[in-house]
Amino acid sequence: MKLIGIVGTNADKSTNRTLLQYMQEHFADQAKIEICEVKDIPVFNKPSERVAPEQIRQLTDKITAADGVIISTPEYDHTIPAPLSNLLEWLAYTTQPLQNKPVMITGASYGVLGTSRAQTHLRQILNAPELKALVLPGKEYLLGHSLQAFNDKNVLVDTDKAQELDEYFANFVDFINKVKG
Amino acid sequence: MKILGIIGTNSENSPTRLLMQFIKKQYDEKAEIELVEIKDVPMFNESKDLSDKEPFISIRKKIEAADGIIIGTSEHNRSIPSSLNSFLEWSSFSVHPFDGKPVMLVGTSITRQGSASAQLHLRQILDAPGVNAIVLPGNEFLLGDAKHAFDNDGNIEAQRTVDFLGTCFNNFLRFVKVADVLQTPDEVRFEPGDYKVTTKGHNGELPMVVSFSEDRIEDIEIDTTGETQGIADTVFERIPQAIIAGQTLNIDAVSGASVTSNGVVDGVAQAVKLAGVDPNILKKRPKPSADTVTTPLEYKTDVVVVGGGGAGLTAAVNVLQAGKQVMVVEKFPAVGGNTIRTGGPMNAADPKWQNTFAALPGEKETLEEILNMDEAEIDAEYLADFQELKKQIKAYIDSDGKYLFDSALWHRIQTYLGGKRTDLKGNEIHGQYDLVKVLTDHALESVKWLESIGVEFDPDEVSMPVGAKWRRGHKPLKNQGYAYISALQDFVNQNGGKILTDTPVKHILFENNKVTGIVGLNADNRKVIIHAKAVILASGGFGANTKMVQKYNTYWSKVDDNLATSNSPAITGDGIRLGQSVGADLVGMGFTQMMPVSDPETGELFTGLQVPPANFVMVNQQGKRFVDEYESRDVLTQAAIDNGSLFYLIADDEIKKTAYNTTQESIDEQVKAGTLYRADTLADLAKQLDIKPAVFEETIAKYNSYVDAGKDAEFGKEVFDLKVQKAPFYATPRKPAMHHTMGGLKIDTKTHVLDTDGVIIENLYAAGEVAGGIHAGNRLGGNSLSDIFTYGRIAGKTAVKETCEK
Repeated sequence: MKLIGIVGTNADKSTNRTLLQYMQEHFADQAKIEICEVKDIPVFNKPSERVAPEQIRQLTDKITAADGVIISTPEYDHTIPAPLSNLLEWLAYTTQPLQNKPVMITGASYGVLGTSRAQTHLRQILNAPELKALVLPGKEYLLGHSLQAFNDKNVLVDTDKAQELDEYFANFVDFINKVKG
Repeated sequence: MKILGIIGTNSENSPTRLLMQFIKKQYDEKAEIELVEIKDVPMFNESKDLSDKEPFISIRKKIEAADGIIIGTSEHNRSIPSSLNSFLEWSSFSVHPFDGKPVMLVGTSITRQGSASAQLHLRQILDAPGVNAIVLPGNEFLLGDAKHAFDNDGNIEAQRTVDFLGTCFNNFLRFVKVADVLQTPDEVRFEPGDYKVTTKGHNGELPMVVSFSEDRIEDIEIDTTGETQGIADTVFERIPQAIIAGQTLNIDAVSGASVTSNGVVDGVAQAVKLAGVDPNILKKRPKPSADTVTTPLEYKTDVVVVGGGGAGLTAAVNVLQAGKQVMVVEKFPAVGGNTIRTGGPMNAADPKWQNTFAALPGEKETLEEILNMDEAEIDAEYLADFQELKKQIKAYIDSDGKYLFDSALWHRIQTYLGGKRTDLKGNEIHGQYDLVKVLTDHALESVKWLESIGVEFDPDEVSMPVGAKWRRGHKPLKNQGYAYISALQDFVNQNGGKILTDTPVKHILFENNKVTGIVGLNADNRKVIIHAKAVILASGGFGANTKMVQKYNTYWSKVDDNLATSNSPAITGDGIRLGQSVGADLVGMGFTQMMPVSDPETGELFTGLQVPPANFVMVNQQGKRFVDEYESRDVLTQAAIDNGSLFYLIADDEIKKTAYNTTQESIDEQVKAGTLYRADTLADLAKQLDIKPAVFEETIAKYNSYVDAGKDAEFGKEVFDLKVQKAPFYATPRKPAMHHTMGGLKIDTKTHVLDTDGVIIENLYAAGEVAGGIHAGNRLGGNSLSDIFTYGRIAGKTAVKETCEK
């Protein structure tokens, strides 16, 4: 199974990147997860020509070829970071590779809430007609206190949270298989 | 009202821009509306802070200056455009311009939705603590199908839509006013003092002392003994410097040392809390700009004077008159210090002039008392002068002089006797002979010198300021204390001197045991370094620093925390601390002078009914007299302190007429304001003061009987005028207020500041109230001005002679 993991921030240091790196390694026997960054994507300004820039085209190809997408988002001001919404705007406006693509949302934050509000927004955004992703329903994964959650080898040391993630990922794999039918 | 409209998209052809332009055009007359674009603001990146760069910084300033903000948003995928999202992230990262700002939302979409979902997201975003805007509730303006909503002139076609937009806009203007009330004032007011906290070091907690004045973090001292050297040294230097320079706790950690950096910030935050201020207010402030932290303003001059009051300006003029450069550094926005607050008369014996005035009853008796004084009471160093004075007096009396007598010797002995006091610990103090001699021998020269630079004195009146004990006051013809300051300031400005206001001095530069200049901080929190050959401290006493008065006090049995003062609030002992920092000795610090009959709130003299002391009737909060009202200021002050400080001056309608400070109109206003009490009967007056009527009536009856008898059996008052008998009756609340601090830096007659071994601190001079030793335990009224002009001149001249003409 091939999955794309999208780091929802352009920050140099992010526990969301760490979380995806952990998943990449931890679920290596179940899926090949390729991690993609949003940081070098040009700024979306709704150009009159609906032409995707090079970076969007490359990412589109990867998403199209993948069985599913994992988006790990931080929370800034109760919503998702602008660089992530910038990516989603390009995808919606040009190539629309997320149409009917299974998506799993995760999020990590330093505080206690673990990006709950950003994830709610992200779900609504992914529901928009031009994105129309198939977001795994009925589950969410909020990793609060994320700075303390990993050891220096990027292993998720919070065992409850690790187990929850295992179950969540298993659900996602099931979900993908059912969608493929 | 200033409204800023933010076009919340970077798209070139957005109907949202049209909508915002329509709003600006349509409501131009209701408010001053400016539109800004966010399209050139780069994508937010927390790893690369561009908040203090253009174009964001200009927009941020506009937001801060606006009374209200309208954000126009488009809808992208059920949310706001990423460009608007990014802009709001910049506005919630290291600066928070939306904090507490009223915001109205409008939006467009090309579909029917009209940005409904985007606006809901936007509301939540603006609610986030980092943004913290106040969003207008209701009034949802959603413009769907926006491509077809405007005509060719950019006007919305549907009148109903325009009307609804108008309603929303009007509601917003009203909301801005409401939100204005909500704005909690983020003015900080620290409880001044030093607070001990701790900060994290490598080897555990380090003690740290944070000092506050009322409105600033003044100093952060971290005790790093026991700490290994290394990167933390930079932290312990740079972080406190940044905090003080920016007066903010929004400080970037020193890279590679975030734990110790944050430790310092947290420690200061703790101290801020102890000083009674919410540290979050300081955390929300902007980061110190690179300028304020790194590039100080540097000057080089011959002499730098600390303090722009009478003493400092006099010193500065003398430096200029000697042909040298001078800079005056004043902490307040304007020069003048306490001098500008004085009534104006300065003491100087000028017998030729004074002899042209007739003697007044009682003056001869005062002189005779001197002849009858026991010489054993006179300190040895003054004895020769005392005996010489007696000869002068004897000659005057023998010649049956009908004119006003005076001499420099009489001024000297009065200054000495007037200043002789013993404190609570039994320490006796009197004016240092050589300093008092210089003062009284050169005071007249100071009057002449002031005349030479344009101060005009009244030749027709020899005045006796309150507490002066003799008529030798030279009074400026007009403008009281301002007469001195304006003449001195003009001279400095017109002769190439430089005055820096708003610049408190923080340190004295001290190298190889020599003073080489000062370091101050200007209104922009920028460091000001002045290299000079000499530094003259002329920053006044510490009358407006109650904590400092309490710390040193050895004279009064109690100094109230809420002690009022007649001083300028600038007078907080800065120069004394600066002098101490380079080893200066202090003298007579325990002795301060209070004005007993001051306004309890403001410390002012000229409120209520101020009548001649013969008509003073003072009662305490129990309604009883407690002192001979004709006593000297310090006796009245101590008696008031012993009676709980607050007391009342009682007057009747006749006594009221002897008040020299007020009008009927002003009296009526004060009664209305509750700062002066009036009643038709003594009993009613007592009730207003929360005093038992019977006690009060008995007190007044007794006082009236003493007036009749010309003798006060209880407290020994001997000088009476009127009885308290004619309604209406008045009570003026009074309380002693800090007036003058006699102690200060130890100086010699050349104004050199001496260290604790009595050795001159090279290149450091002091003049005026900052110096001690002259007035000792009590200062004669009118002697301060003689002091500042005489020693100010000496300081200017000596500094030039010793440091510039070598």
